Amino acid sequence: MFPAVKLLCRSGALSSRLFQLGTTAPSFSTFLHGIAPSASQCSRCLTTLQKTAVCRTLNSSSGPSRSFLPIFTCSKGRLAPAINRRSVLWASTQRQVNQSNQKSNKTIFIYISSVFIVMIGVSYVAVPLYRLFCAATGFGGVPLTGYESKLDSLVPVKERILKIKFNADTASSMQWSFRPQQPEVTVVPGETALAFYKAKNPTDKPILGISTYNVIPYEAGPYFNKIQCFCFEEQRLNPHEEVDMPVFFYIDPDIMDDPRLEKIEQITLSYTFFESKEGMTVPLPGYMQAEQ
Amino acid sequence: MSSMTFGQKPFQVIPPEKGAFPLDHAGECKSIMVSFMRCLHDNKNVNAYCREEARQYLDCRMKNNLMAKEEWRNLGYPEFDEKLQNENKS
Repeated sequence: MFPAVKLLCRSGALSSRLFQLGTTAPSFSTFLHGIAPSASQCSRCLTTLQKTAVCRTLNSSSGPSRSFLPIFTCSKGRLAPAINRRSVLWASTQRQVNQSNQKSNKTIFIYISSVFIVMIGVSYVAVPLYRLFCAATGFGGVPLTGYESKLDSLVPVKERILKIKFNADTASSMQWSFRPQQPEVTVVPGETALAFYKAKNPTDKPILGISTYNVIPYEAGPYFNKIQCFCFEEQRLNPHEEVDMPVFFYIDPDIMDDPRLEKIEQITLSYTFFESKEGMTVPLPGYMQAEQ
Repeated sequence: MSSMTFGQKPFQVIPPEKGAFPLDHAGECKSIMVSFMRCLHDNKNVNAYCREEARQYLDCRMKNNLMAKEEWRNLGYPEFDEKLQNENKS
């Protein structure tokens, strides 16, 4: 063990003048005398070091000193001195390299954390921005704000005759009897039409219902404009009460320009009633509240 | 039902332009509704022939506070507005 270390001592950056191999067994408790190992890596080959022996310094004038310096060996056998003049230089350059590394690390860290924070901010801002975008362009079915109703300039288009069929459904737990009063109505686009549904509450307790609608074919949905109906609002029926529910609607004359609906002659309007608890609201986009 | 359309474009629901009709619990306009239904039935469910009855129903609703008052031209009855104006002039 010792001869090997001796070899190592000599082959490293330390000259044997400064160091003499101590014959004492390696004692790690003694080497901490004022000197802390400044590197746990071999500063030349950057592999992790192991303490294998302790060298004693030799001061030419005052004889062997009491300070013990640790010898580090790395796997390649090269010596990385903990401290000496040359190693101080080496360590200082290493320290500079470390510092610049640290500085660049810090810069990178700041960049990444700022990107992260900006992304979080963007995700918060995106919600109102998207809402504004949808309101301005009408994308995704949101009605355009500032949309003028076409009602006062409606002109019936007599060439196109459409048959509107009516369908009524209830949820399976809904005890109302709900049906249309006319199976169909023949209209033309641009003509306002009235249709009736009838709902009856056959039970002994009041039931609240809320309805939604559906238009088939789906592509005809945007052209089916309801002026007034009974959907999306809670309706209350007392026990054994029967009530007529009107739907006042018109078909948008723009349906003439839609190529997908060119051959359509029949549109089905389907209402479905669900039972609702008191104060329950069907989740709707925000524009519904603005209407009231 | 209409919500189980995975993979299909969902149906876009549009709220009514003038909101919801309040329910006619007292049946104040029921007789007019019955005459409208009879007219539809007689005319083979063609809407164009029963517009006057529909207008009377809406008129009844407005009178009984079941519907907000609107000008007829905003409800698709411009000819009735003109008729009213002519009547007022004469």
